[in-house]
Amino acid sequence: MSTRHDRWSVLPAAVLMVGLLLLPTGLPAQEEVASAIRRYRDREVSTGFYEEYEAKPLRQRPLISIPGVRPGPFPYSPVAARVRIRTRLADSHQGIKFYKDLRCQDCHIKETRDIHTVRGNLTCRQCHGGEPIASLEHYYSPFNPIRRHAYVCAKCHEGSSASFATYVVHAPNPAMATTRKTFPVLFYVFWGMIALAGGTFVVFLPHTVMWGFRELFMKKDEAEGESERKE
Amino acid sequence: MNPNEKNRVVRFTAIQRLFHGLLIVSFLIQGSTGLARMYIETGWGKGLAWVFGGYEGSLAVHKYVGILLVSGFVVHLMYLLFKVNWRKFPGALFEPDSLVPHLRDIKEFFQHVGWFMGIGKAPRFDRWGYWEKFDYWAVFWGIPVLGATGLILAYSLASSRIMPGWFLNVAFWIHRIEAMLAMVHIFIIHFFIAHLRRHNFPMDRAMFEGSSHIDSLRHEKPAWVARLEQTGKLDRMLVAEARPGRRLFYYLFGYAALLFGTFLLIGGLVNSRYITW
Repeated sequence: MSTRHDRWSVLPAAVLMVGLLLLPTGLPAQEEVASAIRRYRDREVSTGFYEEYEAKPLRQRPLISIPGVRPGPFPYSPVAARVRIRTRLADSHQGIKFYKDLRCQDCHIKETRDIHTVRGNLTCRQCHGGEPIASLEHYYSPFNPIRRHAYVCAKCHEGSSASFATYVVHAPNPAMATTRKTFPVLFYVFWGMIALAGGTFVVFLPHTVMWGFRELFMKKDEAEGESERKE
Repeated sequence: MNPNEKNRVVRFTAIQRLFHGLLIVSFLIQGSTGLARMYIETGWGKGLAWVFGGYEGSLAVHKYVGILLVSGFVVHLMYLLFKVNWRKFPGALFEPDSLVPHLRDIKEFFQHVGWFMGIGKAPRFDRWGYWEKFDYWAVFWGIPVLGATGLILAYSLASSRIMPGWFLNVAFWIHRIEAMLAMVHIFIIHFFIAHLRRHNFPMDRAMFEGSSHIDSLRHEKPAWVARLEQTGKLDRMLVAEARPGRRLFYYLFGYAALLFGTFLLIGGLVNSRYITW
């Protein structure tokens, strides 16, 4: 049989239990945000598990194979394997002689001629970070397509997605024959648009010039009714 | 000469002239803000951008005016729905008063070119010449292409959710080439035909004043005038010339557009070697 004292001792426990129900539910991902830049997850629309659930970006797939090794009957040649290992190094510039005396543009000239660098005035370091600069395809590189959007693009383009990050910052010249292999859609669309513009001018520029000359040397009786001068 | 003499035939209504006026202003703003950003590496581009508040300001103006231009195009499409003669549809679309392209336009084009070269007589044009139809329908190609790629680029984060991000590279080049095509076409071909050829020099006021001189039309659109005379509609379409003050305004507006367009064209061509494409 419970005493009056026992009944009152239950009350704080009951208040605590009801109070807990009123509190917002805890989240395992609650973490301290130290960065001044808003975290991309606030605006991220995807699950973040790109390999498993998302439609993969069309031009770049997450690179999680063994560097320089292609399983199957046609393995990479030694040179191809070396190139592929090179694009997955923790320090992409390792082994380059007198590296500390070089500037980025000494080797990467083309990469300094695009909108982000020329017009946006971005420096290489603002995206690629300090030394050592990991190869783009190194698993832990900020540039690996699995996290490029969050670690690089989102610095300026808040809320960028994996798809957004497939924008080619160092885009090739669309007119060049080599672009047909590296970025075929850009190459064909560019030349298609040039053909459209060229076709318009091939017809209408000579047409306009001929019309101008024909009217200029028109006989007076033929020119009867010249509009505004007669008024 | 009696200033009240009704010797001009109405060609455009007030709302059609307003559409053209808005198109002129928005097209020139889009051209200058777009070129300002494209040529920002040069002094010419920096000067142009300065007018709109610099590199970022130019983009803001470009986006707002772009949305205005696309909205104006949508309003024009709605206007067309009211202009179409639905009782006679679709036959009305192929009558001479319609701007819809017709096989006779192709015939007239070749006949006209033949006349340029001294082979045969000039065609007897009706209400619309093939070059006028081309200019009109070019906007129906240009604005959807520029508007769609422009919106893709302006809202790049949203658009990359429904298309791969690398399409932004492609959209950028479509937008750029289409814009250059539009500007070169307007600043050379349209301006020459509307302002500078002997028949129209110093300016064809029809699009501003709304009417053309009857003598001028008898020469350039003889089939139309003949048709109006036959059907007895000509007298009802005759109006007097605009007052001198208004005419002065039309000339100033037309020539301001022409000079500004020429400035953009020459500046763009001269500085094209100094920019990163």
